[in-house]
Amino acid sequence: MMSNRAIRITMLVIATVGLGVASYLTYVHYSGIQPICSAGGSCLEVQTSIYSKIAGVPVALIGLLGYIVILASLLVPESEESRFATMAFTVVGFGFSAYLTYRELFSIHAICEWCASSAGMMTILAGLSIWRFLRGESLPAGGSTRVEADSAVPPLPAAGS
Amino acid sequence: MSSGIDPDLTRKERREQARSERKAAEEAAASQAAQRTRLIRLGSVIAAVVVIVAVILIATSGGGKSKGLAHGNEANKEVSTVSSLVKGIPQSGNTLGNPKAPVTLQYFGDLECPICKEFTLGALPPLIQKYVRTGKLKIEYLSLETATREPETFRTQQVAAYAAGKQNLAWYFIELFYHEQGQEDSGYVTENYLQGLAQQVPGLNLPNWSAARNDPALAEQVTRDAQAANQQNFTGTPSFLIGKTGGSFSKLENPNLEQPADFESAINKLLA
Repeated sequence: MMSNRAIRITMLVIATVGLGVASYLTYVHYSGIQPICSAGGSCLEVQTSIYSKIAGVPVALIGLLGYIVILASLLVPESEESRFATMAFTVVGFGFSAYLTYRELFSIHAICEWCASSAGMMTILAGLSIWRFLRGESLPAGGSTRVEADSAVPPLPAAGS
Repeated sequence: MSSGIDPDLTRKERREQARSERKAAEEAAASQAAQRTRLIRLGSVIAAVVVIVAVILIATSGGGKSKGLAHGNEANKEVSTVSSLVKGIPQSGNTLGNPKAPVTLQYFGDLECPICKEFTLGALPPLIQKYVRTGKLKIEYLSLETATREPETFRTQQVAAYAAGKQNLAWYFIELFYHEQGQEDSGYVTENYLQGLAQQVPGLNLPNWSAARNDPALAEQVTRDAQAANQQNFTGTPSFLIGKTGGSFSKLENPNLEQPADFESAINKLLA
């Protein structure tokens, strides 16, 4: 079974790649250039569709911010709360990716491979972070989730009492 | 709690064993409680995400904007908007504008495509006012199936639009269709819907329109549109070709559909 450290490193690598993809898509959006895409004009079609913005904010920028907070939650010292934060951010990211994929398939009728790769990475991140969160600590003694059992044990009655 | 205390053990050893058992039991209980808490927190996050995604889906589905066929005052309002846009501009078949206009824009659209609606309500009206009405530009509407799920529905609705073109009123029908577009994938395009739109087109002779819908030439026109789109490798709508009338056309890549600036720039270059 993977150690917490291995999971965390795997997630850091995936989130960094995701950050790169989201950065590229954000750059493409604001520079107005055509994204590199092997599927004809599909990426362009998705990038310029009405679904490329939510409340006026480009979804590429939302994705970029998402990867930044996921990376930040992975870089802080590991604790129950940091694992929860990573899980929460990646599950939100997964939900967002699922929505965008739905729009690509059923509203825009075009698939952007950059968006699809980001959705795939977010799915893996969400799976790993849920696993890591539910598994809890496998920290060295003294970790914040370690049960402080010693202090909770009431003293035994004195012998002969 | 079990009390498997060995009677041979000293009192101190028994105390330590009991303490150790209690500690293990409490650790197990704490671990179970922590796991329960984690499951509750995970469930809460997933529930919150489901709600947020549902809200975004509803908010971006244009539920308030895509109601389908308008009736009564609402229909009058749509007809008035469309009339003020295209009334007085020459139409011929699927073309809007002076046939001798120096520049031609070919607009490949799917009548059920919400992004085409965005263009129809966004960049298109100022282009019509500034360039088509003044005779500098003509716009040809060509069809390309994208948003419409059923090919038969696509053909039927497109032929209905081209049938209005037999009376040089196609652009009324097309504009009204986009203005009264229904919810995507809701199956709103029915015979009643098409008849309702036709009844709204000012001056359309309904019996002639109905008869024209059976003209095989119009179905062939839809097929030719698809072939033209394929030649350009168009896979999405709206897509555009622009060029000097009678000359060669080039793709208009990635135009802003809400504002006319990108179109204006291309048209002005051709007019220069």
